[in-house]
Amino acid sequence: MDKKNDSRIELLQGTLDLMILRTLLFGPSHGHAIARHIRMASEDVLQVETGSLYPALHRLEARGWIEAEWRLSDMGKNAKFYRLTRTGRKRLAAAQSRWDELSAAITRVLRPA
Amino acid sequence: METLRRVMRWLDRGWNRKARESELDAELQFHLEEEATEREAAGLPPREARRAARLDLGNSALVKESTREAWGWAAIESWFQDLRYGMRTLAKNPAFALAAVASLALGIGANTAIYSVIDAVMLRTLPMKNPHELVGLQIKGKEHGTDFTNPLWEAIRDSGDAFAGAFAYGEERFDLSEGGESRFVHGLFVSGGYFDALGVPALRGRVLTSRDDRRGCGYAGPVAVISHDFWQSEFQGNPAAIGGTLRLDGRMFTIAGVTPPWMKGFDKDLPYDVAIPIGCEPLVHADSVLDQRSHWWLRIVGRLKPGAGLEETQDRMKAFAPEILRATVPTYWSAGARRGYLNYGIELSPAAAGFSDVGERYRTALFALMAIAGLVLLIACVNIANLLLSRAAARQREFSMRLALGASRWRLIRQLLIESLLLSGLGACGGFLAALWGGRLLVGLISRSPFTGDAVEIDLAPDLRLLGFTAVVTIVTALAFGLVPALRATRVGPNDALKEHGRGAVGGSRRFRLGSGLAAAQIAVSFVLLLAAGLFTGTLRNLLDADLGFRPGGLLRVTVDVQRAAREPAERVRAYREIIERLRQLPGVTSVSNSVLTPIGGQTWNEWIASDGYGASPRPDVLLFMNCVSSGYFRTLGTPFVAGRAFDDHDGAGAPLAMILNESAARQFFGSSNALGKTVRLGAAASGPRYQVIGVVKDTAYRRVDEKAPITGFVAMEQTTSPPSTLNYELRYATSSSAPTEAVRAAIAKVSAAISLEFRSFERQVDDSLEQQRLVAALSTLFGGLALLLSMVGLYGVTAYSVARRRGEIGLRMALGARAGAVAWLILRDAAWMLAAGTALGVLGALAAGKLLTSLLYGVEGSDPGRMVAVAGILAAATTLAAWLPARRAARLDPMKALREE
Repeated sequence: MDKKNDSRIELLQGTLDLMILRTLLFGPSHGHAIARHIRMASEDVLQVETGSLYPALHRLEARGWIEAEWRLSDMGKNAKFYRLTRTGRKRLAAAQSRWDELSAAITRVLRPA
Repeated sequence: METLRRVMRWLDRGWNRKARESELDAELQFHLEEEATEREAAGLPPREARRAARLDLGNSALVKESTREAWGWAAIESWFQDLRYGMRTLAKNPAFALAAVASLALGIGANTAIYSVIDAVMLRTLPMKNPHELVGLQIKGKEHGTDFTNPLWEAIRDSGDAFAGAFAYGEERFDLSEGGESRFVHGLFVSGGYFDALGVPALRGRVLTSRDDRRGCGYAGPVAVISHDFWQSEFQGNPAAIGGTLRLDGRMFTIAGVTPPWMKGFDKDLPYDVAIPIGCEPLVHADSVLDQRSHWWLRIVGRLKPGAGLEETQDRMKAFAPEILRATVPTYWSAGARRGYLNYGIELSPAAAGFSDVGERYRTALFALMAIAGLVLLIACVNIANLLLSRAAARQREFSMRLALGASRWRLIRQLLIESLLLSGLGACGGFLAALWGGRLLVGLISRSPFTGDAVEIDLAPDLRLLGFTAVVTIVTALAFGLVPALRATRVGPNDALKEHGRGAVGGSRRFRLGSGLAAAQIAVSFVLLLAAGLFTGTLRNLLDADLGFRPGGLLRVTVDVQRAAREPAERVRAYREIIERLRQLPGVTSVSNSVLTPIGGQTWNEWIASDGYGASPRPDVLLFMNCVSSGYFRTLGTPFVAGRAFDDHDGAGAPLAMILNESAARQFFGSSNALGKTVRLGAAASGPRYQVIGVVKDTAYRRVDEKAPITGFVAMEQTTSPPSTLNYELRYATSSSAPTEAVRAAIAKVSAAISLEFRSFERQVDDSLEQQRLVAALSTLFGGLALLLSMVGLYGVTAYSVARRRGEIGLRMALGARAGAVAWLILRDAAWMLAAGTALGVLGALAAGKLLTSLLYGVEGSDPGRMVAVAGILAAATTLAAWLPARRAARLDPMKALREE
């Protein structure tokens, strides 16, 4: 195991969903790009496993929160692009505010002022 | 909407399975390439980059698998696999599948058919607005409590605001003809609030309102509303019919409107054709009943106020019931009878399902038939369970192997239950189709109301409830025959498959013991069903043979309505006399009479009377059932005299009033002393007319065949100055010829073309009144036979299995010198045990069931030992036959062959 892996954090399922939805807020994206965005945005702390990413994407698609479309990527290859739906946007807003509450609460517990 | 869209997406994914798979492959392939490109850009050589990308992806099969799970199809798919596997298993053994499905279709079909009738007449709610708010009113303490008088209805209507709306209706046949043979339609007298309270709008024109329901008709004159069906059949749906006229009992009515197709009326047995306001009743009846305080002909229904419960409304009703009763008491009744009237109460009961006379009369019979059909299905289930048990024994290796390969026991049980469900599902499909036909057949057997002679038309269109019922029966059935075999079959170890000749848990004697227990249970159930069939058949035979007190064969009844031909009482008397004289001259007619009522004709008439020296306690008066008959009535009907004489020329208009009593009345009033010459006072008042008893006749059936004749008095038609506008004529004709209907029609037309008439044979009348008993007897015999057949198939199966299992043992016995007879006895003995145990259980069951059936029996006892012995005899003979075949096979076994196989 290389060193990078030690700093990886196991993601809770709901958290991954939340981050995928958040990423798609910037516009349609394919699976690899989503994983890359999460990794870069978290400054290499969060590594999304392929084995969790694709089930999560397909689950969100099955729920109708995101929808998919095949089109050409920047590199000119055919890729499956995911896009937020209206329901997904609503869910994201709700999940985000819940997350904010939760993380603020946890912070208060762990670091009392 | 959202849910629907999700389901659609899910289904779509399911259908396009192949496309989805390759899409997933492409998606992951793209991911790999992107990853490789990225790593290459970071400085790795191309080959290294691709390897690293693959490593990063991990086990691609696993990724795909878990992604597929996100589609939500994995669970369903394994069910489909089981289903496909189940179908293959069944297809491998088509004889078994066919036998099982056929017997299930029969059992489920019979249950569904009977349930469809129960559903239609008792459970299905009316198609009106909020039917659960509708409540029916009944008089507590009175026979036929749902019938009210018009004064009672008017008092209830005007007594305040217990209901959001209330209405009354009475049924009546209206004659469309202008004379000659009547053409009847099913009519209703309705109160003004009828359509409004039911929430029925007009499809065309308008419905009736309280402004139409006035004495002598409302502002628009005599108006009628017709049903959609009648509009179609009579006017071919012509819009011009609205505003046109319709002849009802000779009076012209303006058609105000048509109701929507779903409106069939509040009664379920017969859809209504025409409705007219109660206020128009005097128009069609020469003697109006609107003010008669003891003419019970209206049914009252109320709609609860929004938010008001039944109890609450009941309490309000209770508060003003005494006042209503005081205001409407029949003043001409005796003091005792009036007291009884004032003690009546008014009760409410839910009426969301409407009213069905068939439902009321056939309630017990339908539930008994349902129970019988349920037991037949149970027997069929037991058979299939037995077959599944023996199949499970044969499939031991398969199960053991699958367990060894890692299947869980639950998975095996699920597999077996799916096979059972498949069987019962196929059976249910067949059964449901059979039930659609069977339900109609059942209603066809009920066919007509014995009282009006009208064919009943019950709407049996299958609804969701019926489908639900079939589904529940299917699942319960599958569990009933599938669960135990499935649990038993999977009680094997994974290593059993490896053992040669491993018999496992289901093989051997335990399975046989369970099987013979089930066979004994089948015999027990068959015993109960056969006994029930015997009791019902005996009941029907008793009723058919019952002494009616008259001879229905060769007797024709013609009901004559002279309303239009003769409106004045004196004219009627003349017309009636002329008819009887003309009929007497017809060739082949040996005797003619007329009467107000006919036996088992459906109508009753009774009077309070007081008689000489008779002191009935607690009341000095009694209710005497009445009829008014012409001279020659008893001769025509064939009713013998016990004492005295018939009405004759002595009993004319000026002569002292004469009365003939039936035996029961004479015995009750005068005991053993001679009734002749005694007087009977009619009516409650002391000044009521006094009649002298001139004769006593044998008891005759009055309302029903299966009812003891009530005390009855007959008065003379010749002494009546105002006969009713309809009268029955009875003609006895030579039995060698057919009923002289044409000649009668012609003879009556000569009196007046405006007289309408209706023919009915007495035999038919008696037959129709026994329809329920006939139905129950026929169906219980059919089901009893079916139960016997299925049980014997089951017993045969168990015995044959035991012979096959004991081949080795039998071979050995024979090799050691056992004779064929002894070997056969070995097998028969087991069957004899099953028979004995089954019969004993059956007797216990029959004793319990007999009590429940009492109300359906006539002249037979539920616990009749003679009948029980007969049924036991039938079962013993059938058991011997069923066990004999395998026993003979055992006796003819070649010992050498059997031993070699072992």
